Amino acid sequence: MQIIPVRSQQRRTGKHKLLAVIICCLLTTPATITAGEKGNCRQAGPLVFGILPFISIEQLVFRFTPLANYLSENLQVPVRIETAPDFVEFARRTHEESRYDILFTAPHFFIRANQKAGYRLIASVDSPEMWAVIVVPKQNDIRTLQDLEGKRLATVPPLGLATLLVRKTLFEAGIDPDVDLDMVITPTHDASLLSSYHGVTDASALMQPPFEAASKKVRDSMRIIARTESTPHIPISVAPTLGEDCAAEITDLLVNMGSTPEGKAVLQHNRFTGYRPGDTAIYERLNDLLSR
Amino acid sequence: MHRKSITLFQSLRFRLIASVVSIEIIMLSLLVWNNISIIQATHTDRLRDTATSMIQQIARTSGNYMVAVDYATLEDYLGNIIDYQELSYLVILDRDEHAVIALGTFPAQPWPASEAHPAQVTDGVFDVSDVITVAGQPMGRILMGFSLSLMDEAIRKSRTRGISIAAAEIILTVIVTVLIGLGLTRRLGILAAAAQEVGKGDYSTRIPIETADEVGRTASAFNHMVTEVSNRTQQLEEAESQSRTLLAENRNLVHTSLNVQEEERKHLARELHDELGQCITAIQADAESIRDLSREGDKRIETSASAILDVSSHIYEVVHAMMQRLRPGVLDDLGLVEALKEELSTWQDRHPEIEANFDVAGSLDGLDERINITIYRIVQECLTNITRHAGATRVSISLSGNIDRLVLSVSDNGKGLDQSTPSDGLGLVGMRERAEGLGGEFMLESKKGAGVTIRIRIPLHGKDNRTDE
Repeated sequence: MQIIPVRSQQRRTGKHKLLAVIICCLLTTPATITAGEKGNCRQAGPLVFGILPFISIEQLVFRFTPLANYLSENLQVPVRIETAPDFVEFARRTHEESRYDILFTAPHFFIRANQKAGYRLIASVDSPEMWAVIVVPKQNDIRTLQDLEGKRLATVPPLGLATLLVRKTLFEAGIDPDVDLDMVITPTHDASLLSSYHGVTDASALMQPPFEAASKKVRDSMRIIARTESTPHIPISVAPTLGEDCAAEITDLLVNMGSTPEGKAVLQHNRFTGYRPGDTAIYERLNDLLSR
Repeated sequence: MHRKSITLFQSLRFRLIASVVSIEIIMLSLLVWNNISIIQATHTDRLRDTATSMIQQIARTSGNYMVAVDYATLEDYLGNIIDYQELSYLVILDRDEHAVIALGTFPAQPWPASEAHPAQVTDGVFDVSDVITVAGQPMGRILMGFSLSLMDEAIRKSRTRGISIAAAEIILTVIVTVLIGLGLTRRLGILAAAAQEVGKGDYSTRIPIETADEVGRTASAFNHMVTEVSNRTQQLEEAESQSRTLLAENRNLVHTSLNVQEEERKHLARELHDELGQCITAIQADAESIRDLSREGDKRIETSASAILDVSSHIYEVVHAMMQRLRPGVLDDLGLVEALKEELSTWQDRHPEIEANFDVAGSLDGLDERINITIYRIVQECLTNITRHAGATRVSISLSGNIDRLVLSVSDNGKGLDQSTPSDGLGLVGMRERAEGLGGEFMLESKKGAGVTIRIRIPLHGKDNRTDE
C-alpha cells in the first residue's frame, strides 16, 4: 500500500527520475517479501478442507463452498471441501491419516484431533458460545424434560457434541437417556430436527447453530424445551504437516475476513460474525465432557 | 436382334411386368432403406438417451460419495450398474482427474473425449462423460463407455429381416405379376385378333367370356359391339341399296322427263312448222297477191294487205324463233356442231362485247340425238349463266370426241362462282342431271374472280350413245 504514493510521486517528478527509481527500488523490497508471505500455502498443493458431516453433504457443500473459494483465491492454492460418511469415519481419518489440511469440526473432536494427531488450533468462530437444544413440535404436549420420559428423542450419532451435551443435561435432570427414553440416532443435525418435525420422533436434539440455520417454517413450528450447557464455538485447526507460514496466512485470512467485502459476504453466508485467533485453553474444559 | 428387342419393349406384357417389378423394387428399397434408417436412428437415440440418463443419474448420486470420499460405497453402488449389458466401462475421476473407481474394460489414458451421439462413434464404443457436482460445485467427473456391439447386432438383425421380407415380396410380386400379365395379355391378344377379324368384315367373330373381370367385361362389350355393328352395317347396306335404286329410278325419271320434254318440244315445233307455218305462209301469199292486185285499184286494199303482210311476217318470225327455241331445226338438219355454231353466233349477236371461241376436235358424227340435244342444252344453259352472272369478256367452248367419249368444256373469265355458297337456281343441277342421265360426268371448276369452267364427259361406248349408220 505504501508503493502507490511513491509511484505517483515518480510520475510527477520527471526531473529527478533516476533518484525516484532508486528510491522506488529500495522501497519495493519489503513489498516483495510481503507478497511472498501470501503464497506460503502454494507448496502445500491443493488443501483439503475437512468439514464434520454435521449436516447433509449437499447443505454442507452449499454452506462452505464460498469459504473454501475465498481461501483458495487468497491462498492461491486450490482448497477442496471434503467430509466423511459419518462422524466416526471423519474422526478416524482425522486421527489416523491427518487427511484434512484445514479442519472444521466440533470442539470436542478438535480436542481429540489435537491430542491424537497434533492438529493445531488457528482460529475459532467469533460468536458467543454454542449449546445444544431439545425441540419438540409446538402442537406436542411435551414441555419439560420430564415429559420426554418414554418418548422418542432424535439426536446425532453418539460421538456428536449435541448428543454428549444432551445426555449430560438429561442425566442432570434425573433422566437416564439409556433407560427412560428412546434415543433415535440420525446421521446429521438436520435429520434429527426433521424427524420430529415430520412426526417420526417426539423430540429432536441438535446444536443451536444448525437449528438457527434451519428454515423459518421449521423453526417456527418447533418449541425449545431445553438447552444444554454452552461450549466454545467451532474451532478451525490445521494438520501438523501444514507449514507454520501457511497456517499463519490462513489464520490471517480468517481473522481479517470481516475487513473485505468478499470476506463479509462469506461470513454472512455462513451466518458467522467472524473469526478470532484460536485459543486452545478455552476448549480444555471439554475434556470433562469427553471423559463422561 | 434389334428388331426383337423393339418387339420386346413394345410388348404390353413386358412393359407391364417390367413397370410393376421396377416400381416394386424401387419402393421396397426405399421402404427398407427408410426402415433401416429409422431403426438405426431409434437404436442410436435410445442408446444416447440411456447413456445420458444413466450418466446424469450417476453424476448426481455420486457427488455425496465424492465429497465424503466414500469410494468403497460408491464402488459398491456402481458395481451393480456395470452389469448393464451395453456398458463397457465406467470410470470416476476425482477433482485432480485421477481415476478413483474404474470398472469394466476402460480405455487407456488419455481419457476419450465425450461423443455427442452414437452415430459419430468410430471405435465401437460410445464415450460419454459428465461432471459430478454437489450444490453446483464440481466434485469430479464420470466417464462411461457403451459398447455398440449389441446395438449393431440388433440393427443388423433388423436390416437382414427387412431385406429378406423385401426380397420375398419382390419375388412374389414378380411371380404374381408375370402370371397375371401373361393371363391378361393372352386375353388381350384374343381381343386384338377378334378385332382384326371384325375389321376384315367377319361379323360372326365372337370372343369366349372366361371371367367376369375387366377383360371379361371388355370381351362381353366387344361381342355386343360386333353384334350391333353387324346389325347396323346390314341396315346401312339395305338403306344404301334402297337409295341406289331410288336414285336410279329418279335419274330414269328425270331422263325420261327430259326426253319427253324434248319430244314434246320437237312435236310442238313440227306442228308449228307444219300447221301454223303453212297457214301463215298462205296468209302471206294471199296478202302479197292482194297487195299486188290492188296496186292499181283502191289504195286502202293495198294498205290492208300490207298490214296483213307485216303482221304475218312478224308472226312468222316469232313462230320461227319459238321453233328454234323449242327444237333447233339445224340440229336435226346439220348436226350438233353447226347447231352450236349457230347458237353461239346468235348469242354473240346479242352480246357483241363478249369474245367467243368455239373449237371442235375429233369425230362427232353419228352421235345419238339424246347426246346432241343434251350437249346443245348444256351449252345454251352455260351461255345463259354467263350472260346473267359471269360478267365475262371471253368465252371458250371446246368440243372433242373420239370413239370412247365426248368431252365438252365451257370456260369464261368472269367473276367466278363461290362453290361454298349453295345456288338457288336449277341450271347447274339440270346440267348435272342431263350429263349423268347419259352416264356421263359433270365437273365444275371455279374460284372467286377466276372464272368458271364446266366440263362434261359422256361415254360413247355401245349403241346407246351412237346411232347406227
